[in-house]
Amino acid sequence: MAVPRSRILELMKTSCSIFNTTFNPQRLRLGNKILRQRLRGPAVAAYYPPRIGTTKDLRQAYQGKGVFGGWEVRDEDEDYRLEKIRVAKMRGKGAPKKKRSAAESKRLTKRRPGGNK
Amino acid sequence: MHVTSTLRSHCAPFRAKKLDIGCFVNKWVIRDHTKRKVFAENEVDRQALRYVIRNTSLPPRMRAQAQLQLTQMHCYTRPTQIKNRCTMGGKGKGVFSDFRMARYQFRLNALAGNIPGVKKASW
Repeated sequence: MAVPRSRILELMKTSCSIFNTTFNPQRLRLGNKILRQRLRGPAVAAYYPPRIGTTKDLRQAYQGKGVFGGWEVRDEDEDYRLEKIRVAKMRGKGAPKKKRSAAESKRLTKRRPGGNK
Repeated sequence: MHVTSTLRSHCAPFRAKKLDIGCFVNKWVIRDHTKRKVFAENEVDRQALRYVIRNTSLPPRMRAQAQLQLTQMHCYTRPTQIKNRCTMGGKGKGVFSDFRMARYQFRLNALAGNIPGVKKASW
């Protein structure tokens, strides 16, 4: 017994609504293949192992409020930087003050003979 | 001269300021890692453009524009640029993707017992 086409289409439509697929009896190329693909970016980006166990990680672990936290850990590089800035400021060689406006910054630029270029 | 300068700067705008991987590192590994991150960031855009291109029910002009846009994206956003490299030696050839190691490093580590479930067979 032949089943009429309209019946089959109806069945397809129902099955599509149940299984959440696109109803496309003419079999047009609608690019849904692309939408069904999973994003593989996160997996691809995690190929190389992350950098762990650095002094920064240790410092954060011991200084913070975690299980091992509550310690004071010196960052020697940061201390050295701050010390250098302190000495430079004492000698009057510190960084200039941030200018508030364009006019203010222009006024304080060095004038060269023959004009600034 | 202009060409060389643009070629040189391909990786630079995306590269991390600080080293963020903990395996064997050389310039090829860093470059590949950078490409992976850029690909992951732009994957959604690429897939959207690919959908528009493949969808025959959309106007041809729109699809052609999407094609153009996809080809004009930076080469680092392309998945074909990515290559599995050895995490122990940086090699690009003979890499077992399951172990992320090239064949010789795999052999050394397997014989040393560093890879769980791998054993030398003899029959």
